[in-house]
Amino acid sequence: MPPFAGSNPFSYGFHQESNSSIVTIDVGGQLFQTTKQTLALAGSKSLFSKISNSNETIPFIDRDPEIFSVLLSLLRTGNLPSKAKAFDIQDLIFESQFYGVENLLVNSQSDPSQFDAFNLEKSLVLPLSGRDSPSAISTTQYGSLHVAHGSKISSFDWALQRKSTILTQFTAIDSLLALSPKTAAAGATDFSGLQIIDLDKGFVKDTLNWENVTRSGSTVQAIGSSPEYLFTSFESGRRNSNCIMVYDLNDNLRPVAEIGHYEIFGAELDSAIPSTKLQWISSRNLLMASGSHSGPSGVSGNIRFWDIRSGNVVWELKEKSDCFSDVTVSDSLSSMFKVGVNTGEVFFMDLRNMGADNSWVCLGDGRKVIKGKKEGFGSKVESHGNQVFCSKGGDIELWSEVQAGTITTREGGLQDRVFRRNLMGRAKDMGGSRITNLDFGGNKMFVTRTDQQCVEVWSSGRV
Amino acid sequence: MEDGIPNNPFGTQLGGGVGRIKLNVGGKLFETTVSTLRSGGPDSLLSALSNRPTQDPVFIDRDPEIFSVLLSLLRSNRLPSTAKRFSNLELIDEALYYGIESQLRMALAPTRLNGIDASIFTTVKPSSDGIVSAFNAIDSDGSLWVAHGGQISVYDWNLSHTATVRTHLDFITSIRRVRPEIAAVGSLYGSGLHFYNMTNGCRVDSVEWVDPSDVRIYKARVHAIADSEDSIFASYDCQHGENSVLMIDRSTLKISSEIGRMQGTSSKNAVPGKLKYVPDMGILVGSSVTSGAFGYSGYIRLWDPRSRDVVWETNEPGSGRSSRFGDSFADVDVDLDNLALFKLCSKSGDLAVAELRKLSDDPWVYLKEKNPSMRNVGISGGIAGGNLLIHCYRKQVFVGREGDLEVWSRVEDNADGEGTCEGLCRRNYVDKVEDAERGIIKKIEGGGDRLFVTREDVEGIEVWQSSNYSGAVSVS
Repeated sequence: MPPFAGSNPFSYGFHQESNSSIVTIDVGGQLFQTTKQTLALAGSKSLFSKISNSNETIPFIDRDPEIFSVLLSLLRTGNLPSKAKAFDIQDLIFESQFYGVENLLVNSQSDPSQFDAFNLEKSLVLPLSGRDSPSAISTTQYGSLHVAHGSKISSFDWALQRKSTILTQFTAIDSLLALSPKTAAAGATDFSGLQIIDLDKGFVKDTLNWENVTRSGSTVQAIGSSPEYLFTSFESGRRNSNCIMVYDLNDNLRPVAEIGHYEIFGAELDSAIPSTKLQWISSRNLLMASGSHSGPSGVSGNIRFWDIRSGNVVWELKEKSDCFSDVTVSDSLSSMFKVGVNTGEVFFMDLRNMGADNSWVCLGDGRKVIKGKKEGFGSKVESHGNQVFCSKGGDIELWSEVQAGTITTREGGLQDRVFRRNLMGRAKDMGGSRITNLDFGGNKMFVTRTDQQCVEVWSSGRV
Repeated sequence: MEDGIPNNPFGTQLGGGVGRIKLNVGGKLFETTVSTLRSGGPDSLLSALSNRPTQDPVFIDRDPEIFSVLLSLLRSNRLPSTAKRFSNLELIDEALYYGIESQLRMALAPTRLNGIDASIFTTVKPSSDGIVSAFNAIDSDGSLWVAHGGQISVYDWNLSHTATVRTHLDFITSIRRVRPEIAAVGSLYGSGLHFYNMTNGCRVDSVEWVDPSDVRIYKARVHAIADSEDSIFASYDCQHGENSVLMIDRSTLKISSEIGRMQGTSSKNAVPGKLKYVPDMGILVGSSVTSGAFGYSGYIRLWDPRSRDVVWETNEPGSGRSSRFGDSFADVDVDLDNLALFKLCSKSGDLAVAELRKLSDDPWVYLKEKNPSMRNVGISGGIAGGNLLIHCYRKQVFVGREGDLEVWSRVEDNADGEGTCEGLCRRNYVDKVEDAERGIIKKIEGGGDRLFVTREDVEGIEVWQSSNYSGAVSVS
């Protein structure tokens, strides 16, 4: 780097050695000084690294200096300075895209590792246009959100700014899964086929169908995914057969396998139940598929664990009494949780030994007498991180494991595990309409309720 | 230096002293590039400043904060959030000074109107006589011409009030801008079509419909106004029902011909209550709807204004072998983008579409609502007259049903959009339940990517627009 040019009036008074790591930048008429190391934090593709590699004395950038100073602070500390509040997040996003450092901004604002379950409170509401309540939501890792309401899907970016609202061919969307910030898989229980929808332009990129024996349409009951595969639970239009299709996410959604194909023969009810929840358990490379059926003799259901490669059931659990209203597997706790449809209580099952002797352990009031009432009807249970979230009516319970130092051993040799319940939210946030969806993305939790045309965002106080 | 930075898209910005320029605005120094300043257009003050040869900062005696907003606009083609510190009017004034108002206008303009993603933006309220009786939204420049009582008010693209003129009419019921500064107004409570110049408030001219050979033709009142590039069309009717559409030359404001005179003895030859000119086909579409104890009846008629012939017409109930007998239309509108005629069935609430180029005996394709949650709506008995409305804008069909505002929009298809949109149309509410409670919708019109809605006995005009990046609402 040559010594500074004397003709530039701004460079007077700045002395720098030729091999110094200090870089001076002129942004829109204001001078900034930083180090090459700081600029290098922005990554090699960003404009900052181009600046630091520039062999000009004082590189000039024709942009707004105030926002630049915010982004420079972000670069230095990894956090946004408080003066960033003077700008809309949209300004910061746009400007960070110009400099190529949007990922730093995302990390500082919506880092999934900053998810703090005990600190969540209802902080924002995302209004939806029209009169339809959200039927399904899906999030991506960094907290961008897709909401299906009526025949529409609205997309919000990670900063929760609405990007688009598109119209679909469905009258109502029952399952939605974000494949990328711009595409989602959507299906309905009254419309044939799984549609891969471009959320920017609103067109259907691909329609995936299951060719069932009766040649009737196949409706989508649930969608799930692993890093490699997309799973879809189909039921034939005549409701006499069902299966789970496995598609390769990295190979243009090529069908890989068809597992769990059941046809109704005779009166065996169990085979007629399609899976309505699909969850990938990455630590065990298994797919959890659960489905239930409500009949005159009560609700019965099954939970199956599938090995995708062999297409076999590894472990199966039949639910006869107090069947689950919703079930989820927590990978980090290696346990499974359910809400009983009759009792409305949360149950837990250790998945460290999948065996016949494994049974549900009631975490709530285990002595509750099962009446005819379905107290847990509509309750949702979802796990995120080390916590389990369970909705009961309009309330959300947070179950967490107590890491007790004392050891009380059971006969099986495994340590007894203690879970405790917290009610989430402040008094004014509790109650309300029944919760229909719970989802997590970035450092936030998203909640939808019946008859509300909005999505609630729960985040920890520090936003 | 360019060698070290391959494919640098910011080469000009990172470049050396060449093309850089310093500005001293109100004591604050700014530095930018010549190309940024010139992006405001060759005639702007800023691009004139960029041609100065000297190195010293150019001094401009203006507010530096607004300048920094406008400079950001020139740099990135979008307004920064700091623009919110200033009113739109301040920004516009300042942009006018620097000669970059077209850039600002683009940044301030609403995004393309998407009915499924629209929310109420503001309400335009005239200061006196706030109940709007008629209005005309101009799509080309986004301005809004409002008749309220006997006054005409004009609002520009930014919805700021520019002029109000008091007319001699007591109650204007139809208004249309026919020249950049001239409004044509008519009233059901007074005769004639009157032209008012909004810049000086003068009545320029009036056109009365008289016929020396027929004494019944006198004191004719104007029901609807439409215009083509060289003519104005106005439908008149007299005390006893005689009616006609007059074609008026746009430049001389004199009657050039008379189209479709009718007796007005029955609903099949009543005066057209709605007129629309289709420029792509050179035809005039008129429709009339009357509602009575036995439901709706009316006609749609297409004229060729040059030959004054009726090109096509349909009467309901009664015409053709309609599959929807007893479900006659409550309102009609023309989609000028798709060249399609839309009608709204009074009983079922369904929408029907006919391609304007393929009109026949029964050209209608009925778009049914498959969404079970929306099936129950529609007017039972068809006696609740005059509160079903339809307006086509931006390839969408907006329907006012009592107080509800709905939109029918086409589902994007990856196959090319051949044929009619049967089965590919979805009906959604634009508004919320509480919006509908404000009152019965009287008129819907789109212009400048905004949708303007008036309600019965409610002051002002609601402005609906789509807003991308409308964000979250914080709960406190």
